[in-house]
Amino acid sequence: MSLGTRFDSEGTLVSEESVTREAVSGGLAALAFASFIVGVLSLFQYLPVDTAVAGFTVSTLMGGGLTLVGAGTVVLGLASYAGRFETSPGHTGGVASAVFVGLLWSAVGGLVAAQTLGLSTLWPAVALLMGGVGAGVALVAREDLGVTLSAGLFVLLSGLVVVTGVVGPGWRWDPNGFSIVATGTVGVPVIALFAGLVGAWVAARVYGGFGAQGRQTGAYVLVGTNAAGMLALLVAVVSFIVVRGWGPMTEGVRYGLYWGPVTWFNPPVLDTWVIVEGPILWFYWPFVMEGYGLNIPIDGVLPAIAGTFWLVVGAIVFAVPLGVGAAVFLTEYAEQGRFTFLVEISTNGLWSTPSIVYGLFGLAFLVPRLGNTPSLLSGQLVLGFMLLPLVVITSRESLKSVPDEYRDASAALGVSRWETIKSVVLPAAMPGVVTGVILGVGRIAGETAPILLVTTSSPFSADVAGVIQGGFSFVSSFPFVTVPTLDLVQSSNALPYQLFAIIGAGLGENLDFAWGTALVLLLVVMSFYAVGIASRVYFRRKLNA
Amino acid sequence: MSESTPQSQNDAQSTTDGATETAADATAGTSAEPGTGAPLDGDAGPDRTTAGETDERLREEWTQYQFAGEPKLSVEDLDVYYGDDHAIQSVSMDIPRNSVTALIGPSGCGKSTFLRSLNRMNDRINSARVEGSVELDGEEIYQDGVDLVELRKRVGMVFQAPNPFPKSIRDNVAYGPRKHGELRTGLVARLLGRDDSEAEAELVERSLRQAALYEEVEDRLDDNALGLSGGQQQRLCIARCLAVDPEVILMDEPASALDPIATSKIEDLIEELAEDYTVVVVTHNMQQAARISDQTAVFLTGGELVEYDDTDEIFENPESQRVEDYITGKFG
Repeated sequence: MSLGTRFDSEGTLVSEESVTREAVSGGLAALAFASFIVGVLSLFQYLPVDTAVAGFTVSTLMGGGLTLVGAGTVVLGLASYAGRFETSPGHTGGVASAVFVGLLWSAVGGLVAAQTLGLSTLWPAVALLMGGVGAGVALVAREDLGVTLSAGLFVLLSGLVVVTGVVGPGWRWDPNGFSIVATGTVGVPVIALFAGLVGAWVAARVYGGFGAQGRQTGAYVLVGTNAAGMLALLVAVVSFIVVRGWGPMTEGVRYGLYWGPVTWFNPPVLDTWVIVEGPILWFYWPFVMEGYGLNIPIDGVLPAIAGTFWLVVGAIVFAVPLGVGAAVFLTEYAEQGRFTFLVEISTNGLWSTPSIVYGLFGLAFLVPRLGNTPSLLSGQLVLGFMLLPLVVITSRESLKSVPDEYRDASAALGVSRWETIKSVVLPAAMPGVVTGVILGVGRIAGETAPILLVTTSSPFSADVAGVIQGGFSFVSSFPFVTVPTLDLVQSSNALPYQLFAIIGAGLGENLDFAWGTALVLLLVVMSFYAVGIASRVYFRRKLNA
Repeated sequence: MSESTPQSQNDAQSTTDGATETAADATAGTSAEPGTGAPLDGDAGPDRTTAGETDERLREEWTQYQFAGEPKLSVEDLDVYYGDDHAIQSVSMDIPRNSVTALIGPSGCGKSTFLRSLNRMNDRINSARVEGSVELDGEEIYQDGVDLVELRKRVGMVFQAPNPFPKSIRDNVAYGPRKHGELRTGLVARLLGRDDSEAEAELVERSLRQAALYEEVEDRLDDNALGLSGGQQQRLCIARCLAVDPEVILMDEPASALDPIATSKIEDLIEELAEDYTVVVVTHNMQQAARISDQTAVFLTGGELVEYDDTDEIFENPESQRVEDYITGKFG
């Protein structure tokens, strides 16, 4: 046995493929990954832990899989230590791995000591001891032995606990001193996905044959599984909403063709009406084309959609020119120093200010000055205030990232600073500015608190805020236009507020309308994103085409 | 002169750090040798110089260069400071019209700073302070009331790294004249019947031809300029500079980021340009200076102009020992 220091180990350029090791450890990694995936699925109740599959419950299968992974990796590690496989282990498992494994074992030790053994004040000592042993094994022993023993035994233990039913579907745990209750339906999946992650990591390290290659494979699997888990979470959230909301949202959709007049005209020579008839498509989607009212068969959210749309558009129209202008001044004109630093700090602070604070400001300052009633305009302004700091921050960053060479080149051609900003600097910064606006729209479109305070009066409205039509007409006397009902200063509804109101109205279990509203809100925000991303692509292509 | 010490490591440094020349000029120049205060009349104590340079005093007659006709640019006692750093020390030189003047010298000797003070680009650096006088056709450019737009239209500049705008080739060339209001294109001009599209096309073609680029890009004038190769980009920058019809073209190591073929194209171009324009070119490459320039000014450490004369004189029969050491590669 060599000590495995890098001085006495002979490196091989072309390693003999250790087929058995790779096949076994690859299989174990796949098994661990499967356990992770099943854990995620059962955590979200798609595959509850007591479901019977092929005569076993999901819980038993996960426990068995983890037991196999734990035992397998330990055996592989021992075999590698005994020289059965050609591996290139380092002389230590590495500090980061040791810390990681140490934390795992101290958690195990602490839980067992405090809850199973009931050691009231001694449990930290046990936790520390277990953690120290786990970390020490990983740190002191040669890599193949240390990593597989410390982490593999953890996976083995987790698997055994689940497969023997110590923590099974019927398990119930209300820890002393905490007012929470853990049940098997949550406990088993959590153990499975966590131990699955650890198992996949150890198996991948074995697969890579330890050493640098093993660490690389281990890290790759760990990071990859992490990313997969994150994606799974996002997909779960979105599909949850889609599944629940699709039915209510599409209820009563009807469409068809009818024969009718397509166009008509009165040619001067013929002096008679020519009517061209043809098939006309009709389409009725009550959920997004109707308001909320007693005489409407299927209630809809059109007023809320219109309200959200106008709120976002108004906020963008208000905040983007102001924000970009401020960013241009701060970046291109103002002396970089204490003042700009102060402005930067305060814009960052404003961006993280809670929205209810903005709402309160709007209620106290804007609403009394804009007709003393909740209004669309107040909402637009408040959301604009909220959007402003982000636009300033991101525009400033993207203006700063425009190379100085462009400014120098333009100045050397005798072009003034403003012209340079207008035709070189701003176009180059546009994609970044648009990215900032996209991020900001995501936040303000879903904002409930300020809307609640400054824009809405009734949670279930039947009327659409008609900002464009609004009774607008031209007249012959000054000021030549008249708007009898200016909807900008009328109250309006908005999707997030509507959602909040439905849930708050105590509709109980019948939350279909809420799910439908949530899905529509998601779609509205996404269509704003789509517009933003399309314009970013457009500006970027203009720079690089 | 006294002994000349063997060549130092400066050699290796100067050939590689061309990319940072401007920055090096700005800061490293004098901060590295804080005591380099060589007065022109040379009656102070012995000068301190960088390792490898011979210890000698400057003589005024080395920088006296006689030529026929009025100078295009006339620099008198120019001092440039970056904060506390004295980057250019009392430089005086006259630059004849329609010729190529090369400025050579080791890294950090202030030649780029000197060049940038000829069209007041140093104004763009906050810490820079300029004293002395620069006259363009007898008019002082460092006085109140100078129109920087007009000055920079007359004195154009090409930078070390090609810096085309992320726009089409046509837009790059037409950028200056459009912004100066000499070319009116776009919706308003079209509506008013004052569309200068034809004039613009002509100008773009002429400028690109002058920069020896037209044949290579004539069928893709609307493509983005960033898609061109480095050498083409640099010639595009020259075309962009020519489009505003300057009288003087300042070039700050225009070929240092380019491969040999692109470099030789740029060099040919510079020689052609000298027939109509006054070209001042900073270069690191002494062979390049010898090939393309009519007269050469040698700047040495500390921002002093050491010698200024016909290029042949400088390279074959330099008066200063330090200049001889420099051009023969003993230091720098």
